[in-house]
Amino acid sequence: MKFHRAFVLFVSQVFLGLAVASMLVSVALFTVWSHHASAESPSFVRVIHASPDIGTADVFVDGALLLSSFQFGAVTGYAAVPPGPHKVQIALVSKGINSAVLTQTLQVAPGAVYTVAATGTQSTNLALKVYVDNNRLAPNTSRLRIYQLSPDAGNLNVTTPQKSLITGIPYEIASNYLTVSPGDYHFTVTSPTSNASRSIDATLDANKITSLFAVGLVAGNPQFAVVSAQVDGVPGLPNTGSDPNPSVSPDNEQPFLPWTYGMLGMMAVLCMGGWGYLRQKAKKQS
Amino acid sequence: MYLRRAGVRVWFPLACILVLSLCACGPVSSSTYKAEPQPSPSPAGGVPSPASQLSGVATPAHLIISAIGVNASVEPVGIQANGDLATPTQNPWENVGWYSAGPRPGEDGSSVIDGHVDRPGGSAAVFWRLDELRVGDTVVIVDSTGITRQFNVTRLAYYHPQDAPLQEIFGTSGGTYLNLITCAGEWIPSQHQTTLRLVVYTTLETAR
Repeated sequence: MKFHRAFVLFVSQVFLGLAVASMLVSVALFTVWSHHASAESPSFVRVIHASPDIGTADVFVDGALLLSSFQFGAVTGYAAVPPGPHKVQIALVSKGINSAVLTQTLQVAPGAVYTVAATGTQSTNLALKVYVDNNRLAPNTSRLRIYQLSPDAGNLNVTTPQKSLITGIPYEIASNYLTVSPGDYHFTVTSPTSNASRSIDATLDANKITSLFAVGLVAGNPQFAVVSAQVDGVPGLPNTGSDPNPSVSPDNEQPFLPWTYGMLGMMAVLCMGGWGYLRQKAKKQS
Repeated sequence: MYLRRAGVRVWFPLACILVLSLCACGPVSSSTYKAEPQPSPSPAGGVPSPASQLSGVATPAHLIISAIGVNASVEPVGIQANGDLATPTQNPWENVGWYSAGPRPGEDGSSVIDGHVDRPGGSAAVFWRLDELRVGDTVVIVDSTGITRQFNVTRLAYYHPQDAPLQEIFGTSGGTYLNLITCAGEWIPSQHQTTLRLVVYTTLETAR
């Protein structure tokens, strides 16, 4: 009897130990796997040339030529780059990396999306400004963001013929994303302090993200202008799981049939009878 | 003797209750239906649309992943009202959904296909075994003209849905990619979703 109890205790402890060990191993493996996956995600970077004092330029990243003959006002598409620090250098076209007029190290995070703008003038300091973008689409609508990159325009207002969209965007600041109906738009960007304005026509497509960049100089060259760029919005990840314990809804409920009740009743009677018989037999034997 | 009698006293009523419970559960709900994903019909031919004639790539018709027993019809899907990628509706548990606003598998960029991991009640759906794929495994797309394209698995990654690198999954260019998505992790009843998403990244190997 003692041996039997000890054996049962031993077996139960072994199973408990195995269960705890497997849980710990699962957690450890998942943590490593999950971390490993996120660390491999690249960053996404696009570049706009918005520095009036840098002419057509070559852009080097970590010592390698990334963009050649990059013109003022040009916007690249998003390119995948490894996350981490990157040394970015901008030199006048064909002058070589050793003649870089702007050198800056940028830190980019895995999976993040950025717009990097070359901004400023020699007098206000050339710099690379980094904006974190969010290209998540809004269903059946279009999203719009304005980047104020004109050094002498002051705070900017953006309007359409119908209404004011946003007011007072300071220099080197990007607006929040605006959600607008898809369609053809006539945007006017105004600098109240300089009494200057520029207009641009743009078609905003559904599920896309449009950027308006105010660039150039109100009092100088290259002249104050508005540049647009549009990219596809990205959806969120789908919900492809199902409830493992769904509640019974009227749609999928199946009614009890008459024979089901009868069968269950018979089984209950048989079970109770059998249990009573065995109980009586046990009493007699004791 | 005592132990045997005690065993009878305890286990017999319990066994009866168990039998009754099993009998009672069966006819009540269809949610306990357990069926493995069924092989889909063979690829159907079709005339490429004008858009596919321009790009030279037709819409995907079938997804075949021999390593995990998947042979599924592909149906185009869009986005839901909340902005998330939609899932198949014609045959939710056995079909897979191709994000038709993105590239077609074989075009430059990241094409995306999703599929359910399970059905209500927890039985297997089309991507039940997606997590068993390993780097180097083959994923085959047969398009509507019968052209077969082979992709190779390059990476598996698990993400919390709110932290996933969406640009990487849907917007990577400079190559020809096919990314497969399904759910993973634990079910969260209050959110009516699982904790994680599994993304299998693949790259085009051959087309014939």
